Amino acid sequence: MGMFESAEKFEEILAGFFRHMGATKSIADKLLASKLIIRFNYTDPDLVIVVDCSGDQIDVRPHDTETKAIVEMSMSAEVAHRFWFGKVNLTSALTRKEMVAKGPIPKVLKLLPAVQPAYAMYPQYLDANGYEKYNITRAYRPPTA
Amino acid sequence: MGGYAGQLLYIDLTSGLIEKKPLDMDFARKYIGGLGFGARIYLDLIKDNPDVDPLSPENPFVLMTGPLTGLKMDGVARWTVGTRSPQTGFWGDANVGGFFGTYLKFAGYDGLVITGQAAKPSYIFINDDIVEIRDAGVYWGLDTYDANDRMTEDLKGQSKRTGQVVCIGPAGENRLCFASIINNKRHAAGRTGMGAVWGAKNLKAIYAAGSGTVAAAYPEKLKELKNELKSVYEESIYIAALTASGTPAHIDVGAISGDVPIKNWQMTEWDGFNEIGPVNIEEKIFAGNKTCYGCSVACKKDAEVKDGPYKMAKGPSPEYETVVSFGSMCLNDSLESIARANEICNRYGMDTITCGATIAFAIECFENGLITETDTDGLQLTWGNSEAIVAMTEKIAKKEGFGAVLAEGSAKAAAKIGKNAADYLTTVKGLEAPMHDPRSAHGYALAYGVSPRGACHEASLNFNVEGGAMFVPEIETLSMVLEDHSSENRAELNVACQDYGMFFSSCAVYCNLGAVPLNATQAVDMVNFATGFDFTLEEVIDIGRRVWYLKRGLSNLFGARADDDRLPKRLMTRMEDGPTAGSLPDMDKMLAEFYALREFDDNGVPKKAILEKVGLADLAALLHDGKNG
Repeated sequence: MGMFESAEKFEEILAGFFRHMGATKSIADKLLASKLIIRFNYTDPDLVIVVDCSGDQIDVRPHDTETKAIVEMSMSAEVAHRFWFGKVNLTSALTRKEMVAKGPIPKVLKLLPAVQPAYAMYPQYLDANGYEKYNITRAYRPPTA
Repeated sequence: MGGYAGQLLYIDLTSGLIEKKPLDMDFARKYIGGLGFGARIYLDLIKDNPDVDPLSPENPFVLMTGPLTGLKMDGVARWTVGTRSPQTGFWGDANVGGFFGTYLKFAGYDGLVITGQAAKPSYIFINDDIVEIRDAGVYWGLDTYDANDRMTEDLKGQSKRTGQVVCIGPAGENRLCFASIINNKRHAAGRTGMGAVWGAKNLKAIYAAGSGTVAAAYPEKLKELKNELKSVYEESIYIAALTASGTPAHIDVGAISGDVPIKNWQMTEWDGFNEIGPVNIEEKIFAGNKTCYGCSVACKKDAEVKDGPYKMAKGPSPEYETVVSFGSMCLNDSLESIARANEICNRYGMDTITCGATIAFAIECFENGLITETDTDGLQLTWGNSEAIVAMTEKIAKKEGFGAVLAEGSAKAAAKIGKNAADYLTTVKGLEAPMHDPRSAHGYALAYGVSPRGACHEASLNFNVEGGAMFVPEIETLSMVLEDHSSENRAELNVACQDYGMFFSSCAVYCNLGAVPLNATQAVDMVNFATGFDFTLEEVIDIGRRVWYLKRGLSNLFGARADDDRLPKRLMTRMEDGPTAGSLPDMDKMLAEFYALREFDDNGVPKKAILEKVGLADLAALLHDGKNG
């Protein structure tokens, strides 16, 4: 078992965060403009979440294995968690296949600027929703004299 | 044998003597090609008089292809140039894509060694066996775009196939110390002022046309490898990103990790990335895809600015380094102005990294009152003032007014400006750092420090490996897991990245972008299938190590010492927020470990024993006994 004690807890946290992003207009507008349907396949714990940007609003559907996704992203829960803190070297993760992406990659890469504000939102979301223990941020404090 | 064209051209511009020498295959086995050939030949030519003035006729210039250049494979169209740099005073070199290297091999030559100085502006005409030094009077003064077009048109019909032009612009003619050499308007030998050396030699251009081909020793095996690599390339997201957006694809990825410098390396986050990033490039200025010979990656792009103050006809689009140098480094979010600055640099023939970084440095001097409008000829050189940034780019190109001060590069400009201007420098060995922040990946700091040519992310494969684009499972050090924001294992990593990197991108002359998906087995196989040699991985690493010591030794010969391996204060200042908050490379530790691994003395010079061990006894004698061994 990785850093999440159960698939249920991981789902609660991550699907909740995706919904939080979907409710944030500045991010949601750009995601909706992409019209992408992305299936995230997580391991350790195993979980599938579909983020559907093809409609009028972001639809987050855990356990959806039926919908035909445009993009499939596979990674461990830990890599996913660190990604949303902005702490994953994306180039390295993709090269070393810690993240595997299938589908129209240029369209996915175009979403990076759109989701960038989410890196700051994630630790705040964790703290605000009782998930403090999952917040791996260790804020730098300048040395005092 | 295959891969090689089989001849080297020696051209003395003073006497007009042109010699064709067969390529010695024992030499080829020992140095492979590219800068392996170039640096070795260069040392042989200067070892009786190592203190050669970079802009004197006595400074030789080497232009070398690799054994793969000209094959129809992805990521192998590249060629190299090298000489003593007029910008840094140390060994300088550059690695270029495009078509020229291929056409030179089609003509039957693996490279050129150019010595002397022509009495008047000249160009070298090559068409198979015909090699001539010709009058370039009509082309002198033309920018690289016009010179390229006019020479191509004028020489049409003089060869079976239309040739390729590589030339300098007015910046090189005027010996601007960071002048570049440009093939086909877009493929630049950008760094360390190679174009100024041509200018000093009165050499405007080389035109190469040939009726031959580049044949592999084992074409069937090469074809099989090409088929094997097809799926590797199809699965590579790195390649997909390059194909889609070119090198600017890195802006969005690099911004996440704090790799992209902002405001002359003083900030870690900036909203302007949305304006200058790949999404906006595609929407606002993209005008088509381009590529190098035989490469399906097509990471080069065209741009066009249809109207406004920065109107620009369809032409080469700015690469990542240029977008950042003239963009976030100057807090300039006007994409159109960046495209225009890029066009000025290309046309005049100037290195965009040094030019943009020098302007960012000057803006900081202006902000802090070290220079005023009186100095800058009335320009308000302020952060984000795109109009002033473009105007200053042109002034630098023309060495006009304050542009003449900045045309010396930021290090020499800081000495002229005085006061605390040096605090704003981002140079190592006089070369401005590229647009990758060592506070995001500590190994970059060591790579910049110990690079023979000055701060450079391409002087080894460290950027590719630590940055994550390259994974070489056959070499343990190049596949280890590295702790983020740590200086642990970086000395070991740098050594491995230099040894393998010299083989990969300096000698075989693989592209550090388009050939990134290759593992070591594939990279060595391709060289063997092309040449007919039977290199092992261990052997090419040994060759790479020899070539690295050779380049390092040349810089040592030109005076580089341990102090020159240090990073400037600006790059060694801890950031207080953002993705790199608190992260600072431990240079003392990394340098101490590196010096031990490389067997350097305290002065930063490789010890005699290690130079002899890697097959450079003559360099050892020059460095340690002060004599030609």
